[in-house]
Amino acid sequence: MALTTCAPIEDDIFTQARITVTAGDDQAVTRVQAQVKLTNVNTRQVTTVADFDGASVTVEVLRGAYQIDIEGVATCQLAGGAAPRVRQFRCQSDYVELVRQETNELSLNMIFLD
Amino acid sequence: MTMKAIAAADADSALVEHTTLARVVGGQALRNPAVHGDAYQRAFSQLALGIDLQRQSVAFTPQKGSGYTLPYLKVDTYHRLNNRSTVWGGASYTTGKQHRVRWNSTSDYELLQPYVLADTLGGDTRRERYAISGGYATAIKRWTLGAEMLVRAEQEYRGRDPRMRGIVTDLTLRLGGVYRLGRYCLDAGIEADIYKQTNSVAFYREEGVIPEYQMTGLGTEYNRFSGDKRSLYYDGGGVAVLLHAAPAMGSGLWADVTLEQHRYHRKLAEYNSMPLTDLYNEHVEANLGWKRDSRLAAWAHVDYTRRTGNEHVGGMSNARYFPVIACLTMYKSHAVDACVSALYGKKGWNVVMAAGYISQNEQYVYPHRQMDRGHAYGRLQGQCFVHATSRLLLTINAHAAYYGNVDDKLQMPFANMGEAFTGLIRHQHKFATASYTDLGTKARADYAWKKAKYGFFIEVGGGLTLCSASEHQTQFLSSIGITF
Repeated sequence: MALTTCAPIEDDIFTQARITVTAGDDQAVTRVQAQVKLTNVNTRQVTTVADFDGASVTVEVLRGAYQIDIEGVATCQLAGGAAPRVRQFRCQSDYVELVRQETNELSLNMIFLD
Repeated sequence: MTMKAIAAADADSALVEHTTLARVVGGQALRNPAVHGDAYQRAFSQLALGIDLQRQSVAFTPQKGSGYTLPYLKVDTYHRLNNRSTVWGGASYTTGKQHRVRWNSTSDYELLQPYVLADTLGGDTRRERYAISGGYATAIKRWTLGAEMLVRAEQEYRGRDPRMRGIVTDLTLRLGGVYRLGRYCLDAGIEADIYKQTNSVAFYREEGVIPEYQMTGLGTEYNRFSGDKRSLYYDGGGVAVLLHAAPAMGSGLWADVTLEQHRYHRKLAEYNSMPLTDLYNEHVEANLGWKRDSRLAAWAHVDYTRRTGNEHVGGMSNARYFPVIACLTMYKSHAVDACVSALYGKKGWNVVMAAGYISQNEQYVYPHRQMDRGHAYGRLQGQCFVHATSRLLLTINAHAAYYGNVDDKLQMPFANMGEAFTGLIRHQHKFATASYTDLGTKARADYAWKKAKYGFFIEVGGGLTLCSASEHQTQFLSSIGITF
């Protein structure tokens, strides 16, 4: 009965997300300077982060559903040994669930603007 | 004495027995129907027509409004069938108005807060409440067993935009037993409660609508389902266990413990009953004291209430169905009330004194919000029975109390809050951390008819509460009726 169980408390309210931007099979992303904007679909709270490590960035957010927007520049190394290029890009995802207790791994395709 | 005078005196005694302030000693035990069945020696019934009024210069709690006007018709009866069995019951109808309610479009705010539907406009609401109750207790050897049922049906609505409507049904069942062990009575009882409320807000005017917010505590709202999602319902209930031990007669130690848990689920009616929030109210209360008859008593009281709020995270919708992808505990509230009290009474009058500390700590986990307050208080209550004539009994009650603020903490992300929500929090904080002086008195005259089985009564009372935030509250109550 209700008295034998206390209120179910879920204090693990945060989760980590590791977001990786990818440019396709023909080129590798070596360095990124971009702003990642995560908008919580339920609360409309916005979290921004920009400290990329290579093509990935790690962020801690409230567990929930998110809309992700990334905009910035990246250094891309084309296959075949061509000189690396700095390219402007954008990534977007309308709905991503970040609810796992362990790190959520995400991969988003870049759309180049140049 | 003549037979009529004896009968009149008996009726007076029944009134005194049923209304004496001395009942405050171990009064929590009366929730156990077996204790209630043993509590009074004399039968007493009353039919009352009355009105309760309250006005506040500014609403101390906007969600509850700035006052009310509530006329009522009520009948209560307590009847001993024989030496072993007792029945009691009651029925009441209350109708009236709650004035200038803001930031709340849901009934039973005290029960369901902070998980209510709310808007910034508000207005007066009309209320209608029907309540019936009945109980039975019987003694079997060393045992007294009892059962009781209480039903409340209530609707609250507004006749102009925003047209809120809350329809409540609340059913409570109680079972209990008393075991006589030597000169002590050991009591145990259990209570179960089922609660439902359907709640909606409509707009009829063509000028447009304003958003209805799904409030989630300390000025936060569930943004995704706020705005035009205005139809929801609450589904809840709970259980309580009541334990009490006290000497049946004479002097001795007494103690009681009450454990309660209630849970209330808020669901969106228009999205396949999607669960939005769950509220868990857990309450522990304990009293330990000593008493001598009903004349002298001293006791310590402590109660602790924990309110925990879980928010369900809605996933991607599919044909108006939202899966729940996570559940997070976001709202936490801890309230403590600890006091020492004493009763002193002589034939015809009683005085109760109490001194204590009451505190409440509210927290919204992320983004962090916190509001704490603590008050030290002293309270004095007095009651006096005066036989003005052989047929006229006057009962005078008075109380005075002071609640002084001793603790105050507020942490809010004001920079990221809207103007309306900032105003709400500042208002709530101002009145939550104010100090209060509360004064009140009540007088009742009971006249026994020549056919002394029946009596007529009139009661008038008033109260004044002064708030250190330079605001005040006045109260008035009045009733007339018959006793039988």
